[in-house]
Amino acid sequence: MSVSITLPRAAAGPRAWRLPAWPAALLLPLLGLLAWAAAARAGWLTPAILPAPAEVWATLTELWQSGELQSHALWSMGRVVQGFAIGAVLGLALGAAMALSPRVEDYLRPSFVAIAQVPVIGWVPLLMLPLGIGEALKIVIIAKAALVPVTLNTLAGIRAVPRGWVEVGTAFRYSRWQVLRHVVLPAAVPPVFTGIRYGLTSCWKALVAVELLASAEGLGFLLVWGRQMFQMDMVIAGMVVIAAVGLVFDASLALLERRLQPWRAA
Amino acid sequence: MSAVLKATPPPLRQASLDAARCALSARGVSRRFRIAGTDLVALAGVDLDVAAGEFVTILGASGCGKSTLLRLFAGLDRADTGTLLHAGVPIAGPSLQRGLVFQEPRLFPWLTVTQNVATALLNAPGGPEAKRLAVAEHIALVGLAGFEDAWPHQLSGGMAQRAAIARGLVNGPDVLLMDEPFGALDALTRARLQRELRRIWERERTTMLLVTHDVDEALLLGTRLVVMTPRPGRIARILDLPRSITRDHADPAFARLRAEVLAMLDDGISTEGPLQP
Repeated sequence: MSVSITLPRAAAGPRAWRLPAWPAALLLPLLGLLAWAAAARAGWLTPAILPAPAEVWATLTELWQSGELQSHALWSMGRVVQGFAIGAVLGLALGAAMALSPRVEDYLRPSFVAIAQVPVIGWVPLLMLPLGIGEALKIVIIAKAALVPVTLNTLAGIRAVPRGWVEVGTAFRYSRWQVLRHVVLPAAVPPVFTGIRYGLTSCWKALVAVELLASAEGLGFLLVWGRQMFQMDMVIAGMVVIAAVGLVFDASLALLERRLQPWRAA
Repeated sequence: MSAVLKATPPPLRQASLDAARCALSARGVSRRFRIAGTDLVALAGVDLDVAAGEFVTILGASGCGKSTLLRLFAGLDRADTGTLLHAGVPIAGPSLQRGLVFQEPRLFPWLTVTQNVATALLNAPGGPEAKRLAVAEHIALVGLAGFEDAWPHQLSGGMAQRAAIARGLVNGPDVLLMDEPFGALDALTRARLQRELRRIWERERTTMLLVTHDVDEALLLGTRLVVMTPRPGRIARILDLPRSITRDHADPAFARLRAEVLAMLDDGISTEGPLQP
């Protein structure tokens, strides 16, 4: 009796058709833009509430030409860079200390988790009293926004380093410092970087929130100003710029991450 | 009992061996672990001597304590009772004179093959140039020349384990300890690496102690075979495997030997007791 075997063809079969990454990423924003333009043209909402894309574009170019946009964006970015740097450095140190010393974790973790539960904005009224509503308040709030995700991801990242890798170091008589320097820290880079990226995103979001509350400059202020003047085109223009800057921040960190980790499969 | 199977009566002859001549020696070694509230006796009174230049394979079913014994020799774990010696000196922790290969390659993904092999030399004596040469030599020894700058994720399982063997040997250790090093490889790759390991041993004459649950691997590689049985983990039998043995399944003597070893393993499991020699 002969047995015929048919090999499954799935592996050699045609691949599902797919757009390359960049056009695929642009597809959804383009559809949104089209829907927005259609809604504006059909007059589903009054132009005072939903201005046409062209009008927002005109506002954007106007703000750009007057230099106002750059000045607001620079204020915002400056605040984020300062607050993020402070929060990320503290978060790295705190996360590493808690991961490496059970005693430090026993003392700090419960309080830290409790503090992390209160959203960034919830801290503003309290912090306003000692710090006022100036730059110090904004920097502290932004730093806090970075602190939480960076700390938690650093803690989890260092904890998740496989014991087997640490054992390799032990087998070659690595000192505690050598294990940390040559095994634990490099192994923790990917999760720690995830925390840093997430931290920067939350900084940017916190910044806009703080600027909405108390500020005379910055992209968040642009939104408040637009709303108060009932200029929705300015509000939408501000939102677009906030989103774009946030995207650029994240993409820069992603690029840096790839540079730092050439060993990862492309 | 087959003619080729020469049972060594342990520990009488073993005990008379001069400890200093022994690369490794274990005396009355016990180790128990507390797992979920119950005591598990991983090793109960194990005596074993490994002479310099030997290739000893430790064979046993899972739970017989063979990996525990290897980790004790490596200095990664401490015995509850008994003594472990390396060249007559008590083992108090890991040593660069005892190379180690784990079941998984355990290469660092952020380092190239060269850099991974060099991790073993971080605390070794010698200048950077000598170390560089040693790394290159050992990469060539395991047949990875041309892959010096590859990342671990670019290597097959067999190639990664070759790199791990190079890392274990690069210090020029007295002993290479291997914990089921080929257990995770496919049959073809495993057979090839077994032949190469045997070749490396013949060339370098590094004392080898290899733990496995694969009867064929144990018989193929070892000059001496230690059969261990579980619950509690102890040595059931130690067999000399002279070079004269034809390591070929078609050879009736070898087939008999293999069957006897399998029966020993089976007995150890079914009677839950050690097989007295």
